[in-house]
Amino acid sequence: MKHYLVIQLARFGDLIQTKRLIATLVARGDGHVHLCLDHSLAPLASLVYPELELHSIAAHRTGVSREQAYFAMLNGNRKTFARLKALKFDEVYNLNFSPLNFRIAALFDPATVRGHFWDNGQEVSSQWARMAMQWSRWRKLSINLVDFWAYYCRDAVAPEKVNPEASPHGENIGIVLSGRESRRSIPLDLLAEYTTAIARINKSAKILLLGSHTEQNAGKNMHRLLPSDLQNRTENLAGKTNWADLIEVVSSMKRILSPDTGTMHLAAHLGTPVTAFFLSSAWCFETGPYGNGHTILQATRNCLPCLESDTCPHKTACLEGFQATDFIRFMITEKSTVVPNGINAYQTQTDEFGINNRIFAGTDPDQASRIEFRRFLARHVGLNTPLSNNAHHLAIKMYREKDWSVPRAEESRHVL
Amino acid sequence: MLNNHLRILVILPMYGGSLPVGRFCIEALTDLGHTVESFEAPEFHHAYEALKGLKVTGDRLEYLQNSFLQTLSQAVLAKVETFEPDMVLSMAQAPLSHQALKRLRKDNVTTAMWFVEDYRLFTYWKSFAPLYDIFAVIQKEPFLDELKSLGVKNCLYLPLAAHPSFHKPLNLSSVERRKFGSDISFMGAGYANRRVAFRKLVGHNFKIWGTEWDGDHVLEPLVQMQGKRVSSEECVKIFNATTVNLNLHSSIHSDKLVTGGDFINPRTFELCACGAFQLVDKRTLMDEAFADGELATFASMDELMAMIDDYLANPKQREQIAQRGQQRVLREHTYAVRMQTLIDFTTEQIPDWPIKKESKSLFPSHFPEKLKEDINELIHSLNLPEDVGFEDLVWAIRQQQGTLSDLETAVLFLDEWQKIYKKK
Repeated sequence: MKHYLVIQLARFGDLIQTKRLIATLVARGDGHVHLCLDHSLAPLASLVYPELELHSIAAHRTGVSREQAYFAMLNGNRKTFARLKALKFDEVYNLNFSPLNFRIAALFDPATVRGHFWDNGQEVSSQWARMAMQWSRWRKLSINLVDFWAYYCRDAVAPEKVNPEASPHGENIGIVLSGRESRRSIPLDLLAEYTTAIARINKSAKILLLGSHTEQNAGKNMHRLLPSDLQNRTENLAGKTNWADLIEVVSSMKRILSPDTGTMHLAAHLGTPVTAFFLSSAWCFETGPYGNGHTILQATRNCLPCLESDTCPHKTACLEGFQATDFIRFMITEKSTVVPNGINAYQTQTDEFGINNRIFAGTDPDQASRIEFRRFLARHVGLNTPLSNNAHHLAIKMYREKDWSVPRAEESRHVL
Repeated sequence: MLNNHLRILVILPMYGGSLPVGRFCIEALTDLGHTVESFEAPEFHHAYEALKGLKVTGDRLEYLQNSFLQTLSQAVLAKVETFEPDMVLSMAQAPLSHQALKRLRKDNVTTAMWFVEDYRLFTYWKSFAPLYDIFAVIQKEPFLDELKSLGVKNCLYLPLAAHPSFHKPLNLSSVERRKFGSDISFMGAGYANRRVAFRKLVGHNFKIWGTEWDGDHVLEPLVQMQGKRVSSEECVKIFNATTVNLNLHSSIHSDKLVTGGDFINPRTFELCACGAFQLVDKRTLMDEAFADGELATFASMDELMAMIDDYLANPKQREQIAQRGQQRVLREHTYAVRMQTLIDFTTEQIPDWPIKKESKSLFPSHFPEKLKEDINELIHSLNLPEDVGFEDLVWAIRQQQGTLSDLETAVLFLDEWQKIYKKK
């Protein structure tokens, strides 16, 4: 029996977005799949991926003192590292371009590691990982992170098998208050207006405000901003749900409205329809909801997508589309004739390669280039797609001389 | 030890006589308790040489070789960026370009060159010397004055040396004694003065070791191992197995066989450290390095010929001189002593060197005893001093080949975690 290890040390959303890769390894049916992750996400992972063996470590900042960190790393993590090393994995998928991931990779024979590995003290990223860094410079093209991680395996499961198709699971409407970066979220007053409009046409729905404990106050403020009749059927669940509660709540909803958050990915995982707001550094072609039938409202401006770490010199002008008079009307009717300037609307759909956002309102000048780019990557991962028109140009951009001159069988060549 | 603990990056040359010297410096610095990293230029030598096989126009080859050396310089800079050394110590012929040296100066990285070559023959020092913060040499005047006239502020006379853990008395087997032993031997390259001088010894039980002796029909029968390169390990065996080791400093001129030059070659110190007896030509800088009775020196070929017969017949005298020479070298002329001199000189000459860094103690308070034991065991296995700081432990682990243990990985992980979350 083979042993596969996935190392995913990032956050809530990333854990869910690893699903296609994990599903692929499980679908092989020839081994046991393990997941190494931060302690804080182990309870969630045990619910989302019950078939996996989990190995949690201290990786995230948890407000511990230097002494506590020493003990957590040198005692707790060390024990986990010893177990991982002893398992002699056949394949290790080390997903995050982070110094922490490079250091864990030191436990394993670099020939077994996909992604980011450690070769006699040298940090090395595999070709597929390097290509992703390259295309991250042209973010307007890009592909979904779920597909990127999945294609460390050439036998990635079909995209439509990853998540259930979006379909309402109940009456309630979920409102996700904000993501980790406030600039990527809709301001509370606007969100209150959206919520009011949605609530008016879903008369029997309960409105559930979702978020972590850090959004508890935002939830209270939001509650106050709603008309009094709606306040009675609105519940602030921010900070009140554990992982199991959150899954239960999200899985029984008619729809959730969310910026780019972990909860949005969780809803996609459960097949709960999502209306997602993407603006600022959030870019739906990278981290949009995965699966068929979700709606994405993507801000469009020449400066988008921007970098999370940069300050915005335009006073977050990408919010203007969301503030437009017609926005709520458009959000509810989805009529392309009333789409406000500065907004593109997409329906998520899967194709042979992965998730493909189909535009249904607005204009997307990069669509043709994006299609070409996806065709290029599809060929790269072994799919039988036609040669893209600008294959030569893309190959020059995406491949390095060393890929040709000193190739290394880095990515999985697993063939069914 | 902890207060004087330095990080030193030694830049080795791709090949040549300063390569073994560089390796001895690395060992000596490590023995002194410093964290030492080497830039292994020899690993790039084959690729560099391969360019010559292209059979292209001269200007193309020139361009390719320069480009290659620029790449090596970039590699050194990358290494400096990662290792953050207190000093970059280059050996003569180290592949460090002008541009790279300027960059290091701009970045406030202290650089030193140990130029273990004859400045009259290797004249390229004029181009590079002003770009180093410290320029250590094996000759004195007029070289030191010439360096100053070029604007080199910190010149240091730093003669060559021996490395006692390598250059030492050996118990050789009878087979090794037969192979490497003789009444008289010479180990070194076939320079012009040596070729003429050694003709007078044909007829003695005399063996010649080393390269570049081809084409000399008189000496050819005496040349061992078909004139192949002799390893440093084999050198030590030759020194140990020979009754009278000849040590004639090289010269490209054959008109004056015993030149009376200034610098002392490494063989002088190495033979002494081995406790071997040598007859060495007198050098002007020898008097300050050795006292009477510590070396047997000659100033002419006639003197040498007479001394060979005398000393072959006088084992007691040989032994006494060798012993005194050995004691002097072990006390004053080791690479460890030289490296300490270089460090002391740099401390005196370069203001605020080394730059004080905040070094974290390895164990925070209330650290579990069992874990402490495991980490101490790791420190021991990595040959680190017991008081090693956290940063140097991390660096030593990074130097390990192959996969790492759970504890090693945990230490590296902790280090990166602290950097990310600035928990220092």
